[in-house]
Formats: sequence, structure tokens, C-alpha cells
Amino acid sequence: MFKSIMEWVDARLPISDLIKSQATEYPTPKNLNYWWNFGSLALFVLIIQLATGIFLVMHYKPDAALAFDSVEHIMRDVNWGWLLRYLHANGATFFFVVVYIHILRGMYYGSYRSPREILWWIGIIIFFLLMGTAFMGYVLPWGQMSYWGAAVITNLMSAVPLVGEDLVVWVWGGFAVGDPTLNRFFSLHYLLPFVVFGAVFVHLWALHAVHSNNPDGIDIDEHKDSLPFHPYFTVKDLYGVGVFLIIYCGFVFFAPNYFAEPDNYIEANPMQTPAHIVPEWYFLPFYAILRSIDFLGSFSKLAGVLAMVGAIAILFVLPWLDRSPARSFRYRPLSRQLFWLFIIDCFILGWVGYNPADATVFGGMPIVFVGRAATLVYFGYFFLLWLITAFDIEKPKPTPTSI
Amino acid sequence: MKSWNGLKRWGGWLAAAITAVGLGLPPASALASGGVAPPKQDWTFSGVFGRFDEASLKRGAQVAVEVCMSCHSIKYIKFDHLRSFGFSEAEVKAMAESQGKTKKDKMISGMDPQAAKDSFGTIPPDLSLMTKARKGYEDYTYGILTGYLNDKEKEMVEKIFADGNVLDPEIKEAAEALHLGHDLEKAKKSLERIHRGDNFNKYFPGNFLAMPQPISAGQVTFADGKESSLEQMAKDVTSFLAWAAEPTAMERKSAGVKVIAYLVLLTIMLYAVKRRVWSRIPH
Amino acid sequence: MHIEQEESRRDFLILATSAVGLVGVGGAAWPFIRSMSPSADVLAQATTEVDLSAIQEGQMITVPWQGKPVFVLHRTAEQIAQAKNVTMSELRDPQDDKDRVRKPEWLVVLAICTHLGCVPQPIGTGEYGGFLCPCHGTHYDTSGRIRKGPAPKNLEAPPHEFKDDRTLIIGKVLA
Repeated sequence: MFKSIMEWVDARLPISDLIKSQATEYPTPKNLNYWWNFGSLALFVLIIQLATGIFLVMHYKPDAALAFDSVEHIMRDVNWGWLLRYLHANGATFFFVVVYIHILRGMYYGSYRSPREILWWIGIIIFFLLMGTAFMGYVLPWGQMSYWGAAVITNLMSAVPLVGEDLVVWVWGGFAVGDPTLNRFFSLHYLLPFVVFGAVFVHLWALHAVHSNNPDGIDIDEHKDSLPFHPYFTVKDLYGVGVFLIIYCGFVFFAPNYFAEPDNYIEANPMQTPAHIVPEWYFLPFYAILRSIDFLGSFSKLAGVLAMVGAIAILFVLPWLDRSPARSFRYRPLSRQLFWLFIIDCFILGWVGYNPADATVFGGMPIVFVGRAATLVYFGYFFLLWLITAFDIEKPKPTPTSI
Repeated sequence: MKSWNGLKRWGGWLAAAITAVGLGLPPASALASGGVAPPKQDWTFSGVFGRFDEASLKRGAQVAVEVCMSCHSIKYIKFDHLRSFGFSEAEVKAMAESQGKTKKDKMISGMDPQAAKDSFGTIPPDLSLMTKARKGYEDYTYGILTGYLNDKEKEMVEKIFADGNVLDPEIKEAAEALHLGHDLEKAKKSLERIHRGDNFNKYFPGNFLAMPQPISAGQVTFADGKESSLEQMAKDVTSFLAWAAEPTAMERKSAGVKVIAYLVLLTIMLYAVKRRVWSRIPH
Repeated sequence: MHIEQEESRRDFLILATSAVGLVGVGGAAWPFIRSMSPSADVLAQATTEVDLSAIQEGQMITVPWQGKPVFVLHRTAEQIAQAKNVTMSELRDPQDDKDRVRKPEWLVVLAICTHLGCVPQPIGTGEYGGFLCPCHGTHYDTSGRIRKGPAPKNLEAPPHEFKDDRTLIIGKVLA
């Protein structure tokens, strides 16, 4: 019965072939390690965010006078509303945890190298979209951090030469962050995840055109060294989902406000800025880079914004900066050291971003000095990677011929 | 075993990353402008298995209605909600009526916000989310309620100024007792403000606040006969405010225990399936 | 033989894991489905409590219940008699008065005309001593029954009960 229905469908839409070639029998390198779980995990979190988001919207009110109350209504009155909201809020945090690991995995194993440049680019575009979506989503509860975060970040656009001031007013739809801003952010926050979903499809399309990289970073003999995706990687990915859910639900049920700022439980007040405003943790390194450019006078603001955007945009040219004959850092001792330095540097930037701009450390040194040094190291990673690979300073170990 | 090591590796890294970022590596210059972090208290409702103590919530609600609500509203709570931790309908009705309200009304203070602004210089904040909206959470609320000067400390400050001769050792002693920091000039300024009658609190960022000491020992007569010391009242009303900030919190934790237990079981099973499936191929 | 055993054990393990997983998916769907049911604040409006002590004999008040108007009439002996002394065959929608009220002196009816949904006028405005719906001239008697005009049915009596002598609760208490 089922077979004859499938034959009827396949004659008109070859869906079985597609599932076979692109999912169940899709050849996957057999040596992938658990770092390769984070791609499917990211998709899983995206689905959680879409589902919880759609149900939250049934109760949320995108109106400056009602938004804060409607979130409390969700927390208090809506059946399981607290669960939907905490899943969604912590989902954002874990989305970034997963995506950062996914990106860093790509950087370590050289997954951005030819022929995967377009795959890598689409990934960066998804990352940009995620940052925008997360930022606008954070504004919706209309707490003090929502409001002032929106004020600070939108003000960055005033750095654009000539039209900056007009641009900010255009983004706000008013003379300050207000009701029109909230409404358009809500609209875009609902739209962008579907754009992300589309981009993820293209990301997978590009992946399936060139196939997965692997920890050795070498081209593999697909007959000998790959396994069908199902059941090997479906079950491995599901196991990863299980571990992920334990950690994620641990936060959702027992420490749901761990990543939240207390100030966001105070309703937005355009007349009063909180003493210490910070972005969400996943923006902190970039926020630190923005603030570390403060020594160029009136040019500082624009330069800071450019540095912040550049910190991500530089990933676009990474495939051409890295010229090593080996893809994977497993066989590149110098690159590996640079990589760990880069990771440590990102944490330092995050710490600098968390602190007030005028804080001092180590007995009186302005923290911005640390920020400047860390910014230099951040961009230095890309420069040094180019330097050691373009001039054969790094001598890679011999790569295996098969896995 | 190879995969187990792999898991241990990435699990460890994930945990380390979350902890490092989450803890935020505390700010370099915390509370630069006065006020120390409030001491940690034991709350019956903290932790995975911690739950609210209903007797304490009932006493706390009594303090909230009889004392706090003179100035503060608790707008996300209706009197009727108080039945969820053991008040009878008649008791709830009586509490509402004592405030000129019905049981279906929100717990809104009778004080006119403009009148409050005129006499205190600020509108008293709504307390519904107080324990979630300040760094330090419940400990902060308890700290503020108990952080005003006690009689002994007041006496100490008065003694400094009594003889018209303010001595450095005196300031030093007071600064230490009141956590005013090491800068004697600053400490002296603070002591002068206390002497002038400004509201001083050890745990308020900046030390001086608009609210005079809100509760004092013996201010209410607890229905259950418990002695109404300052500490007892502060603890009970803070518990009550913690409930008011998230009445669904206990429901969340009980659901969480079941969810995590289920997920652990499922994940173990998935791990077994994974091993079995992968054992078929030669490594 | 050994391989067969392996296989069947694997099948059982996979089957059991799939079953446990499916339970989880079902369980996870429940909060989403439930989130669309009436929320606590809506349920709080499921009933309306009315203080009867202030309503004199012959007086009527209109109270909101689930967003709709309800007439609460303290009937006089005369009004009760009018409601009771009716020949059933005369009625378009035959219903005994005692089936419409919990206590003879209290009439509780939904003030929504069964014709096209207008709110009828207070007691004494219509013929038969009852309510007149101004929209299309429907007359209801002192029991809220249709007596004259285009309406097909009697005014609906919502579920209600007397908690004590002076407290009326309209509506059923839900979950």
C-alpha cells in the first residue's frame, strides 16, 4: 500500500531519490568527531526558536505601553507561558554557544578552504542575520536593557558619514527609540528567522555540493572512507541533541535568568539610563572592539563601528588569507597555537566588553588598554595566519593520504 | 572508549565556555560609589529542590499588605492570588478590604504617586519584580530591609559629632562598621549626611536612598504568633516578594526535575544505540 | 547465531529508544497546545460574583459576565406570581418558571435578545410586566420568556448558584 503510494508520488515528484541521495545515503566522512555535531544542533535550536517564538507571539503585544506587561502576562497567566518564554530566551543564548562552536570548528579544521568558500560565506551571512535577529528580539520585552541596548546600538549608525543622523531617525521612526521602533523590530524579528531558515537551506545545498570536510582536512575516497548518513550520523546527531537538551533544560528550569540582566525586569524608562548597560554576552567581544577604538578623535566613532563590523567581515576573506598546503590545523603546529591564542583573546574581549568603559584593572590601568591590545590580537590572528602560510614560515606536518 | 573521551573533551569545553562567559568574570570595579554586596542568606526556595515555606509567605504577605503597601504597589498580583499559598477566601477578602479593595483587585497602593513624589522626591517602585530586578536578587531585598543603622550604630555616629570635634580614629571605626571604605574624606562626608538625617543603607549602591527605614521590630502582629523581629519580617516579606516575582517558579522546578530525569534516560539510550550502530563498522 | 542475537537486541534497543523519544516529542508538544487554552486571567473572568444585599425587591441590576450583560432581578411576589401563572401551551418556547430560576425571588438571565442579539430594556418596559427589546419589539415576561415579537427563544438563564444568602455566583467555576 505504502509502496504503491510512494511509486505514484515518485513518478511525479522524485522525493525518494532526493531523500536517498541527500539524506539517508548521503556519503559522510567516517572520521567526523563530535565537533561536527554542532551544525545539526544549530538547526535544532533554530527550530526550537521558531516554534516557541510563534507561540509567544500569540500572547505578546508589540506596543510600548503594553509590551512589558504582556511578557509578565505570559510568565504568570498563560498556561506554560513561563516555559515558552524561558525556552526562547535561553534558546538565544544557546544558539550562539552552538553557532560559535560551529564556526570555530570550521576555523580549526580548515573547513573554509577551497572548495568550500561559498559554503563558508553563507555561514557568515547566517551569523550576521542571527546577530540582527537576536538584537531585535532582546528589545521586545521592553525592559531597561532592551531599551538602552536598542538606543546604543542604533546610535552606531549615526557614525555613517553624511547621512548618519538621518539614518538613525529613519531606523527609529521617531526622534528616539520608541513605539515605532518596537513595532518594526517586532516585524523584523518575526521575519528574519524565516530568512535564516532559507539561508540554512542554501548552506546545506552548498554543503551537499562539495561534501563535508573532516578532521584531517584531506579529500577522501568516498567509496572507502565514507558512511551513509543514516543510521550512523542520524543517531550520532540525536545523541548530541540529547546531551545538548540536558544542559539547555538545566538552565531553562533551574537557572532561567542566569544569562539575563536584572535591569531588564524594570520597564523601559526613556528618562533614565541604568548605571551600567551591557549587551547580551554573545555580543560582548564585538562591543569591546567597538569601544577600544577611542584614540582617533572625532573619527573614533566611525572607526569603532568599522572595526566591529570588520571583525566579522574579515571572515569572508579568510579562505584567501590561509595559504597553507594543509587544511586542518591538526597538521599545522603554528596555526594551532595562533588558534588557541585567538580563543583566549575572544574571552578577554568578552570580559573587557562586560566591564564599564572607564573601569581600571591591575591597580589603575584603564581597561581600554586591555581592549586595544586584545583587538590588535584579534585582527593579528588573521594577519599572522596569512604571514606564516604565505611565506612558508610554518612547516606543516605531512598529512595522511587517506583517513 | 574513544567516543567517550571525545564527549568528555567537548562537554568539558562547553561547560568551561558557558561558565566563563556566564560568570562574566565579575566587573573590575564593582560598586565603586559606595554600598557593599549584601550577604548571602539561606532561602528555603533556592536550589533544585528548594520550595517556598507557606507559613513564611503568609507572614510576608501580611507585612506587605500592612506595611509596604502604604507606599508601594505590587501590581502584577491580585489579592485573590494570595489564596495559592494557603490563605482562605475570607482572609483574602479581609486583607483586600483593609486596603479599600475587593479580592479581585490588584495590590495597588493607596498612596497617590504625585503625593509620594512630593514627600519622598521619587515615586516608590512597584515591588512585583523587585527580587528579580536587582543584582543580588533576594539577598539584595533582604539586605536593604536590614541594612539601615541600628540603634547602636546611630549612637556611634551621633557620638562622633556630639563634642564638635571629629577625630580620624572615630571616622575610621565608623567607616569600618558601616562598610564606608578606606577613603576617610569620603567616609566623613557620608557620616555628615547621616548626622543630617539622610537615609543611609549599607547595601544600597551609593548608600543614600529616598526610602526611610521601612520596617522595624514589632511593627506587625503576626497572625501565627511568630515574634516579629526585624530579621524575621525582612525574611518573610522577601520570601513573599520572591513568590510575587514569579508565582510559577516552583511549578517550573518540579517540571524541571521530571524533564531532566527523562532526558538523562533518553540520552543514555541514544548513546547505547549509537554505540551499537557504530560497532558494526571497523574503526 | 551470535549475530542474530545481536541483531534482535539491537532491534529491541532501537525500538525502545524510539518509543521513549516519541513520548518526549508528545510531552514537548503539550505545553504548546495548552498555551492556547484560556489563560489564568481569562479563567478568572469565567465567573462573576454579585453582592445581592443591596438589591431591593423589585429592583434589577445589570452585571457583566464573561464580557456579556446579565440581568439580576429581585422579583416581587406579584412578579413571581405572574411568572408562575402561565399556561404552557401559550408559550412559544415552553418552559416552567421553576426550571429557569434557582430561587423564585431571583431571576438571572442573559440580557441578549435571542432574535438578533440586542440588549433588552429593564424590567417593566414590556408587556407581561417584563422586558422589551427595542430593536424589533420583542416582549419577554417576568421569567424572561418570549411572549411577543420576532424572537424564537426565551432569554437564556446562565449557570448560577447562591454561595450564601447574599452572594450570587454566575457561571461555572472552570479548572
